[in-house]
Amino acid sequence: MIEITGLTKTFTGQDGAPVHALGGVDLTVRENEFLTVLGPSGCGKTTMLKMIAGLQTWDAGEITVAGRPVRGPGPDRSMVFQNFALLPWATVLDNVAFGLKLKGVGKAERNERARGLIAKVGLAGFESKRPGELSGGMQQRVGIARALAVEPEVLLMDEPFGAVDEQTRRLLQEELLSIWEANRLTVVFITHSMEEAVLLGDRVVLLSARPGRIAEIVDVPLDRPRSSDIGGLERSREYVEITAHLWERLRDMHEEHRLERAAG
Amino acid sequence: MATRTDRPQWQRLLDSDRSYQALTFVLFAAAWQVYGTYWGGLLVPTFTETAAAFVRLLGTAEFWDALWVSNQALALGFACSVAIGVPVGVLLGRFRLLERLTDVYLNILLVTPMAAIIPLLIMSVGFGLLSRVILVTLFAVVMVIVNVRSGVRQVDPGLIQMAKSFGATERAVWRDVLIPGALPAIMTGVRLGLGRAVTGMVIVELLMVSLALGGLILQFRATFDAAGLYAVIAAVLIESLVLIALAQWLEHRIAPWARSTQKRKARR
Ligand SMILES: Nc1ncnc2c1ncn2[C@@H]1O[C@H](COP(=O)(O)OP(=O)(O)OP(=O)(O)O)[C@@H](O)[C@H]1O
Ligand SMILES: [Mg+2]
Repeated sequence: MIEITGLTKTFTGQDGAPVHALGGVDLTVRENEFLTVLGPSGCGKTTMLKMIAGLQTWDAGEITVAGRPVRGPGPDRSMVFQNFALLPWATVLDNVAFGLKLKGVGKAERNERARGLIAKVGLAGFESKRPGELSGGMQQRVGIARALAVEPEVLLMDEPFGAVDEQTRRLLQEELLSIWEANRLTVVFITHSMEEAVLLGDRVVLLSARPGRIAEIVDVPLDRPRSSDIGGLERSREYVEITAHLWERLRDMHEEHRLERAAG
Repeated sequence: MATRTDRPQWQRLLDSDRSYQALTFVLFAAAWQVYGTYWGGLLVPTFTETAAAFVRLLGTAEFWDALWVSNQALALGFACSVAIGVPVGVLLGRFRLLERLTDVYLNILLVTPMAAIIPLLIMSVGFGLLSRVILVTLFAVVMVIVNVRSGVRQVDPGLIQMAKSFGATERAVWRDVLIPGALPAIMTGVRLGLGRAVTGMVIVELLMVSLALGGLILQFRATFDAAGLYAVIAAVLIESLVLIALAQWLEHRIAPWARSTQKRKARR
């Protein structure tokens, strides 16, 4: 579904020094796959996701989505943001319908579709509230509904549950899984949490410290559907083994990074 | 634990901003009365004398004429300030280069005592309505520009990126993100601009052409009618208060979300 080859990017930092964000990423995301991406802070996860979204240019390499090279944002991909990025002046309904409005869908139709999605993410009755009146978890439900409203083939999520509390996060994970199970979307999901990466993903991509490269791709052989019993999964042997493995790798990366910094 | 809403109606009524405002006004009026009675002499009338003079003033055709003439300059000048200030502020906020080019001049305009350019204005445009309008505009427009500019600049770049990710064109970004995002600041700029416009209106009449309300002030001063003088000033004050309240009400009507998010932030 998504083919990434030889993707590199060097930013110029504020002091003028080059920042090697991505150092040649090769990655294939399969159709209808739930891919989670894990890596040390600053390794280029957000940068990579923005490139897939068409919001960020790159130096070398190529990205194709369903065979089409990415040249900019497109209706086949939509993004869910860590800080929600909701329009504070617009109602929940207008926020969810925003992508459809930009696509030129008429008011009656987009409102109807938005209402359907609001119900789907469990916010029925909140259509005329403004984001400031909602909790963080509810705001991210709006963000998810907005992304789904344009019926994308690929959902790009950048630490979408990073800013909500633990219980809400658990609920949102379950809801996201059941939406994905029902819709068969391709999801690229960035997270800081090893637990989340394993619970949600078919595969976990581990990026190395800057410059970001694929360090390892770990298959997650946990049974689907998982939405009904996240708690049970956490006690399974596979889950424990995979998270332990990921933790080891991440710890090694931090260690290497520290040694390099000390040496250089 | 008793929360705010549990308290009886009369207590909540007493605790409102209105009652505090009324309280400070009563204290102020009482202090004024005492001062005016014992130490005021000829030059400081008491509160009641001023109030009486104010009522008398409202009965004269002269006052209403003056108010009408003054407000012509105010209305036209303020309208010009908004018509010029909002678009200019928006452009300066969005385009860094423009801002860099103009920043110095804006700062100069912001700190120049406008009264200083009155002779200049009279020399070039004369004493008519036009020069008063220009001065009011000069007073108010900078306030509008500066606030609108910072409003546009403060729009969360994350929202612009979000809009772009959903395929927004530059036009759509303006329509759906920048303009509504800057609206609260635009309204604030308009409100502050209004305050400056009132100042401009009075100053121009005091210093340039003794006319209308400013003329009345000068006239009462010349005849040592202290109560009348205070009454005119009170009239100007009341008009500004009414206008500002109106602008505030409009601000909350047009951009109600700004108020609620601010409250939220304050509570944290
Ligand atoms: N526009 C930019 N200009 C300069 N440097 C940038 C820019 N965007 C990102 N960077 C740098 O590129 C590197 C990768 O950033 P990115 O945001 O992709 O990291 P990340 O993996 O998402 O980090 P985190 O886990 O903290 O979210 C960082 O060092 C960052 O400072
Ligand atoms: Mg990031």
